[in-house]
Amino acid sequence: MTRRGMNDVRVLVVAAAVIYGLLAIAMGVIPGRVLSATPPGPGVVPLSEAAARGRDVYVGEGCSYCHTQQVRPLAQDHVWGRPSARGDYAYSTPQLLGSERTGPDLTTIGARQPSAVWHLIHLYQPRSLIHASIMPAYPWLFTAKDRADTGDTVVAVPGGYAPAGKVIVASQSALDLVAYLQSLKQSPIGAQAMR
Amino acid sequence: MQDVRAYVGPPGGRGVVEDARVLSGYTISATIWLLFSTAVGLLVSFKYSYPDLLTSPLLSFGRLRAIHTTGTFFGWASIALVGCAMYVAARSGGVTIRRPKLAWLALWSFNAAALIGILALDLGMSNGSQEYREWIWPATLLFLFAVVVSGWVVVDTVAARVGHDIYIANWYTIGGFIFTTILGIVAILPFYQRGVGQVAVQAFYMHNAVGMWFTFLALGATYYALPKLLNRPIYSYALGVLGFWTNLVFYPVIGAHHYEFSPLPWWFQTLAIVFSVGMLVPVWAGSGNFALTLRGRWSSVRRSYALPFLVVGIAYYFLGSTQGTIEAFRSLQAIWHLTNFTVGHSHATMYGFITFIAWGAIYALVPRATEKEPPRLWVGVHFWLAFVGVTVYVAVLSVAGTEQGLTWANGDPFIASVEAAAPYWLARAVSGTMMFLSHCVFAYNVYAMTIAPHRVAAPGAAGAPA
Repeated sequence: MTRRGMNDVRVLVVAAAVIYGLLAIAMGVIPGRVLSATPPGPGVVPLSEAAARGRDVYVGEGCSYCHTQQVRPLAQDHVWGRPSARGDYAYSTPQLLGSERTGPDLTTIGARQPSAVWHLIHLYQPRSLIHASIMPAYPWLFTAKDRADTGDTVVAVPGGYAPAGKVIVASQSALDLVAYLQSLKQSPIGAQAMR
Repeated sequence: MQDVRAYVGPPGGRGVVEDARVLSGYTISATIWLLFSTAVGLLVSFKYSYPDLLTSPLLSFGRLRAIHTTGTFFGWASIALVGCAMYVAARSGGVTIRRPKLAWLALWSFNAAALIGILALDLGMSNGSQEYREWIWPATLLFLFAVVVSGWVVVDTVAARVGHDIYIANWYTIGGFIFTTILGIVAILPFYQRGVGQVAVQAFYMHNAVGMWFTFLALGATYYALPKLLNRPIYSYALGVLGFWTNLVFYPVIGAHHYEFSPLPWWFQTLAIVFSVGMLVPVWAGSGNFALTLRGRWSSVRRSYALPFLVVGIAYYFLGSTQGTIEAFRSLQAIWHLTNFTVGHSHATMYGFITFIAWGAIYALVPRATEKEPPRLWVGVHFWLAFVGVTVYVAVLSVAGTEQGLTWANGDPFIASVEAAAPYWLARAVSGTMMFLSHCVFAYNVYAMTIAPHRVAAPGAAGAPA
């Protein structure tokens, strides 16, 4: 039996592949290619080694499922900083813009909350600082010891939130993650350069 | 069971038995992933209300969140709908599944991919928290391999059909395999994915993974199962073809509506919004076509245990997709973007639409293949728990998202949005519990339809399917 046109399965397969292939190039590959070439914005610099390791922790723990890193040109976003520009993300791969803001935006957390002490306590147990917070605690980024050794970063967790009689010491991963959070700042740029 | 005999000779023929085994194998695998992934989802939902519940790295929110989404997408829905696509290709063509060995190879690959991807996520190895492509690349590559192999089985089976025309159901499923193969290649190549360039690719990928894979497979299953259960032809073949082409052309353009107000070029976002309106054409063509096929046959729906699932799936296809168009408008995204409203929308579509269609197709096809009926009472319990559960789920998260967005617009301190949403999160955990319980019942029904040694249903309760 001869099967013609769209009733030839080969025609269906090839037509679908060609049309979708062209659309995928137009809507996926070309925008990706063009925008990947975006130069860094003024004052945007690569991360330090510690911050880069901390970013890997941020990705692995899935922080961006609740924290965005994009400031929108909307009045309600002014609290997080100026609207994000393409050049802000020149060194941000994988991109961490996020799709949900269950917790605050972190685009400028390094400027809004520069204290490493605060971040370490907050990562160990967020509810020791903010009662209504629903952020997970990350005790596995810390160790509970009987006494601190030289060189240890001891975390002053408020009473009742850590095992009694123990000192809480930050691991390298916790220190790296805090270095990353502290690095999150916006460089000031003129309104002209933003879009 | 009549239709099986009519097409391929006496029951119990070798090919027919093998087809039933393939369909059962896919259905059982998918069901195990459904149970696992939604147990994870349930735990995650309770962590919103009890954040210090089960604090440990392997059970932490950030890792389980991606396990829930990728597990339901690629473990449950993909495997379930691919199994149905193979069976539909065979039955609609009056033949048996070609290359059954490849069908089994694809099933093992799907399962291995999901296992590797999910284990790695739980150990903190993620492909960058990119929605629906969090799996490390070996798992993604294996999944893509399974898509190509199972697509080959479907195309080969359709090519071997008895009749002249390719039935519209197979247009959709074959399309789904072709599009997803291309999409997977575009998503996995790293050369054009740096910084904001990766945002553009992610916008394209994450929406197409939903609309060019699950939508096409689910519509394909519906175009076969609905007329079969009603024992009447589809209302319009032409509407089905219109939906196919318009979905193909409009869908790839709309991804950027997930990044409205982001640094992606403004015109690129506007283009996505315009085409989101265009999506009303395939959505209304498809759901209207199904509704007109159902017209005047509500008594059949009442008597059938499979049809109610398809009816809910079609209704959520219409509602969820139309909602998607409306919420793409900038004025509404300004409030709803980044809130729980999006999570409600994704459950209206991936659960209300895709999962209900998968259940309808499984209840329509598996008893005919295996000649084992599920107990009707438990199918009813499954239906009502899942239907009420997801409807409450979508409703409370839509309200929660609106409250979050309004507190932000009001300029309240951020924690006010957390406190405003908190009661709705508890309601979501309760509705999620109903949904999970329905999956346990479904798992029992799958057991009854497949590996149970004999008919589980009492003789009086077992009627002909449909």
